Amino acid sequence: MKVIPIYIEAGISGFESPAAEYKELGLSLDKLLIRHPNATFIGQASGESMQGVGIFDGDLLIVDRSLTARNGDVVVANYNGCFVCKLIDKKQARLLSASKDFAPVSITPEDDFQLEGIVTRSIRLHHQAPELTACMH
Amino acid sequence: MYALVDAVSFYASAEKVFDPSIRNKPVVVLTNNDGCICAVCPIARRLGIPKFKPYFQIKALLQKHGVVVRSSNYELYADLSERMMNVISRYCDNQYIYSIDESFLQFKNYSGVIKDWHQYGHEIRRAIWKETRLPVGVGFGTTSTLAKAANHAAKKLTGYNGVAIIDNAQSAKDILEKMDVNEVWGVGSKISQRLKQQNINTAHQLSMQCPKIMRKQFSVITERTVNELNGVSCLTWDDVKEPKREIFSTRSFGQRIVDIHALHAALTTHSTIVAKKVRRQSSLIKKLLIFASSSPHDENYYKQAMVYKFPVATDNSCDIAKAVSLVLADIFMPGVRFSRCGVGAIALESRHYQQPDLFLPDNSNPILMNCLDSINNRYGQGTLTLGAEGKSDSWEMKRHFLSPQYTSNWRHIPKIRC
Repeated sequence: MKVIPIYIEAGISGFESPAAEYKELGLSLDKLLIRHPNATFIGQASGESMQGVGIFDGDLLIVDRSLTARNGDVVVANYNGCFVCKLIDKKQARLLSASKDFAPVSITPEDDFQLEGIVTRSIRLHHQAPELTACMH
Repeated sequence: MYALVDAVSFYASAEKVFDPSIRNKPVVVLTNNDGCICAVCPIARRLGIPKFKPYFQIKALLQKHGVVVRSSNYELYADLSERMMNVISRYCDNQYIYSIDESFLQFKNYSGVIKDWHQYGHEIRRAIWKETRLPVGVGFGTTSTLAKAANHAAKKLTGYNGVAIIDNAQSAKDILEKMDVNEVWGVGSKISQRLKQQNINTAHQLSMQCPKIMRKQFSVITERTVNELNGVSCLTWDDVKEPKREIFSTRSFGQRIVDIHALHAALTTHSTIVAKKVRRQSSLIKKLLIFASSSPHDENYYKQAMVYKFPVATDNSCDIAKAVSLVLADIFMPGVRFSRCGVGAIALESRHYQQPDLFLPDNSNPILMNCLDSINNRYGQGTLTLGAEGKSDSWEMKRHFLSPQYTSNWRHIPKIRC
């Protein structure tokens, strides 16, 4: 419950804007898209290998570290010192792409590998966002 | 039961969170202006890289070992600190954030809930690592001082693996015997030197002293520290962390300054930094030191300092900047190539115990200052500045090895290969 204080005014002071009372009630994309804010970071996809699950070059990825990966999840991992976004095949310890142009990658004991988090959302920017333009290439 | 949770070489660890390419490499972080080493990651520590050494002195050593060097990325550290503190807060309803990377917890009435403190400590560590990728140490103790000692053991002594507990005389002895007296919380370097002259070298030896005698020789805080080491809780977290009695902002220029306007801008910026810090600890400035100098290596070394005394103590950035303008003409000397300047609040008073002056108006403007601080906290330092601070950045902090602001600037968010 949220208490919205409304003052009773005396005298001729006109009406307050009816919008003023509803400022707090707007929809928040942060709240919708980010369940665990302390464990979540935002990255930017670079490359074509995940187009089969709808992730395109330049998309924003919301990555939640607090969740545990299930087989087939879209994950972000540290693979030999580089953040990669792939489908995780836990049974065969492989990273799968969502594109037939990219072969699966097997994770070997020699590889430096850590799961970083689960991609819970990806965001497509159909118009360029000026805040982001420096990263597009 | 008390706990202290703090990050392992926080700044260096923070650099590794969003840069997986340096996770397994030795990393050091430099202070303001890339002057000294202020954080050394465990890998670099094992290579024998010392802390607090000037960067230029050990540059060759760093290169030889392939050490990754970073400037302090305060935007990143502040964001990661907030995340870490929020995760810690889930584990106890009484949290006190002691510094950017240290948090005390006090557990009251938890004995029925938590059966195994050791396991609980590891749970906290695991959660922070999983959610923020920061390594922490957790120390439990029956007092804050013992929790701090246990935390020291958890991180520095072998065999503890990140969690240590002091809950009886034996576990206290085991840890305190291996701890230098200057590592004890609340024992400063001066007091520890005097303790060592009396042959009190370890924390355990300090715990064996008579508290009353310690009070006579040192201070009431030292008496309480001895009691705390014996499991008698008597320090509050604020006792040990007093408000600072002096606050300075000073720095060398990136390039020499010969122009009075540039010096004015630099001094004004230092004064607003000091004013902000003063407000944060609810103090007021009574006396302000304003100084500038050429380099001591120059032939005609020039140094000038002025003290400005405020008729009524203030925390108003505008008043403090005005004081700088008033003394500027006395500090500046034509022809001098200034290499350093700064401002220091050398006499502070508490905002909470202010005696108003009958004849002089109180010029503080808390509403305006609060607004200024809120905007700069929200949108980053320097969003709102005084006109006199100017826009030149030639004297600003040197941060040559700065990593991206991964979490606070859209242009810097991490790239993820697909």
